[in-house]
Amino acid sequence: MPNPDISTITTEDFLARRWKRFALVLGLFAVGVCIFLLLNIVLGSVTIPLGDTIKVIFGGAGSDEAYSTIIRNIRLPRALGAVLGGAALAVSGLLLQVFFRNPIVGPFVLGISSGASFTVALALLGSYLLGVTVVSSMTLSLAAFIGALLVMGVVLMVASKVRDIITLLVIGLMTGYVASALSSFLVAFAQAENVHRFVIWTMGSFSGFRWEEVRLLAIVGLVLMVASYLLAKPLNAFLLGEDYARSMGVNVKRFRYTVVFLACALAAIVTAFAGPVAFIGLAVPHLARLSLGTSDNRILIPASVLAGAMVTSLCDLLARMLFAPVELPVSATTAIFGAPMVVFFLIKGKTTI
Amino acid sequence: MILRTDKLTVGYGQKVVVSDINVMLMKGQFVCLLGPNGSGKSTILKTIVRMLMPLGGEVYLNDRDISRMSNQDMAKTTAVVLTEPISAGLLTAYDVVMLGRHPHTGFMGKPTVIDREKVIEVLKMVNAEDIAQRYFTELSDGEKQKTLLARALAQEPQLIVLDEPTSHLDARHRIEVMLILRQLTQEKGVTVIASLHDIDLAMKACDVALLIKDEHVIACGTPEDVLKEELVAELYGMEKATFSGYLGSVELKGNQSGSRIFVVAGAGSGASVYRALIKHSFSVITGILPENDIDYHIATAVGATVVKSPAFNNISQSTYEEALKLLDGVVQVIDAGFPIGALNQFNLDLVRWALDKGKTVHTLRSRLEAEGLYGTNAVRLIYSRDFFELMSAVRRVTSD
Repeated sequence: MPNPDISTITTEDFLARRWKRFALVLGLFAVGVCIFLLLNIVLGSVTIPLGDTIKVIFGGAGSDEAYSTIIRNIRLPRALGAVLGGAALAVSGLLLQVFFRNPIVGPFVLGISSGASFTVALALLGSYLLGVTVVSSMTLSLAAFIGALLVMGVVLMVASKVRDIITLLVIGLMTGYVASALSSFLVAFAQAENVHRFVIWTMGSFSGFRWEEVRLLAIVGLVLMVASYLLAKPLNAFLLGEDYARSMGVNVKRFRYTVVFLACALAAIVTAFAGPVAFIGLAVPHLARLSLGTSDNRILIPASVLAGAMVTSLCDLLARMLFAPVELPVSATTAIFGAPMVVFFLIKGKTTI
Repeated sequence: MILRTDKLTVGYGQKVVVSDINVMLMKGQFVCLLGPNGSGKSTILKTIVRMLMPLGGEVYLNDRDISRMSNQDMAKTTAVVLTEPISAGLLTAYDVVMLGRHPHTGFMGKPTVIDREKVIEVLKMVNAEDIAQRYFTELSDGEKQKTLLARALAQEPQLIVLDEPTSHLDARHRIEVMLILRQLTQEKGVTVIASLHDIDLAMKACDVALLIKDEHVIACGTPEDVLKEELVAELYGMEKATFSGYLGSVELKGNQSGSRIFVVAGAGSGASVYRALIKHSFSVITGILPENDIDYHIATAVGATVVKSPAFNNISQSTYEEALKLLDGVVQVIDAGFPIGALNQFNLDLVRWALDKGKTVHTLRSRLEAEGLYGTNAVRLIYSRDFFELMSAVRRVTSD
């Protein structure tokens, strides 16, 4: 954008102004996360007064024993699940957008969600064939995680061998298609009840998040996100393309491997607990980039973490509240929020990678 | 010595593109690679910076085999400017240049005061300080190229490799980029290797020219020695054009199929007339030109029939008669408006003779001047004030 006073300010002033903008945007995102996190705890079939909510969160007792139970056992783990899951998906999407130099790439482009769906379908059908009628959600999580890891394994094996990364993208997409085909194969043979459960699972949900899941997601997710942040320097070099990155000293082979591993692992861990949550990983990096006005991953990664948490919290809130007591799958709200946003950004032409 | 290649063979996979390359490049040399499209210029450049593995032989940077150098060492020694367009997302020109500090910054790439100063310094060096704050994607091709050049400089390399740095650029930026590169080699002692398509710019800016054709380096040396008419014609397989070492540029040859026109010229007055006629497929005959006349070199380069006389000599009677014979064979004559001195009165005589013979004579002189030179015959001249009028008049006479 041609800025009329651009020539009148020195580079130092320009950089200082930019840092102010970065700090402001990060601050706003952080405030947004806090607001929606609180709203997710306050609002629901029972509205809990804000004072009680805060008291319970910080380990006190609410004015009503039921409040403590609702918050501790249901709403807080779910709200934290949305925050962590959203952050992880956003970082995963960002990594892959930079890596593939493609603005419409998201965390599931390498077939992670299809792989997870396949093993979930396998678990539902397999247990039916074995005579097990009730499949626990923990079993489904485990199945999803194994499926995601299987696909990741395939992609990683290929990642070090293919010459250019577009081939890798195509292989990821194709692996996904094969997994989807196998899933529909299984669905055709499945019991109606299980099919329903499978379909609901594929639309993603943060409901029923339990503390052990939150803990696992927090530990694994945070480690992976910190690791992604440590990759910011080579990621930035990659903005100019693989050849330039190599000429600046990036070990491209190792970098490829690391990025694909981190992005897939982040997507896999979220998918295991919440199912494939659409569009967060695709749309949030664009929101962060445009708000900051930069593609510098050193600032973009923390911004994506916060924006991912904020947007996912909001979407989960809407999913729960819009047609209460009926709860929408979270992918319904994320897609309605995400898809037009991506289109708007791309048409506006302001965002690339 | 910065760079040495030893029996280097480059290519992709099994396919050899150029073989047996043995060159030695010194500190501060400006080297250009010339050759037709697909001759392997880019392949050589990519091999030198280790983007491609050699199919045979070795490359030494500062006497170290590059296959044994660490990525970091390579990045601190060499930098590249590639020809493929890049999309830098929401990075400003400043950010793009800062990326060049990659091998010098710490683990997280946080710039220090030194890095910032260096970035400003290289931006100044390429006259791009004013665009530092703009997004890279919004810059013009020329500004982008300067930014990418600054990025390469920010790496503080001893060797910069550029793949077709002047393609897509307008005349101003083309020259600007070449001047910056020359300044770099001379003031900073950086060695520059660039593949180029402009033979004229290469000739005028480079210290060493490397000519590549048919899988081989066909010549390597000072451009003044190497870029001769025959070799350049062979390099590009040019039949319809001539590279003139004297002019340092390429002239398009005519096919000499159209009606013949005799141009009486000299001292540069003929240059534009020849080009205008050749462009429209006329057969050009010109004379009498001494071999030290610029018109002589241009006429030869465009493939005109030239009646010449030896440099710094009076013309002989036989030369004059040869000119008359050729003049007699044409219908139209152009008096290019050459300056007249003691040694080219014969050219005035040629015009007078043509007028006496009743030939159609065009002139670019004013009426006043022509009357002074040709007397009463001046009324029979066809006057043109510019090339548009001249070419229209020539065509009108031809079609009659």
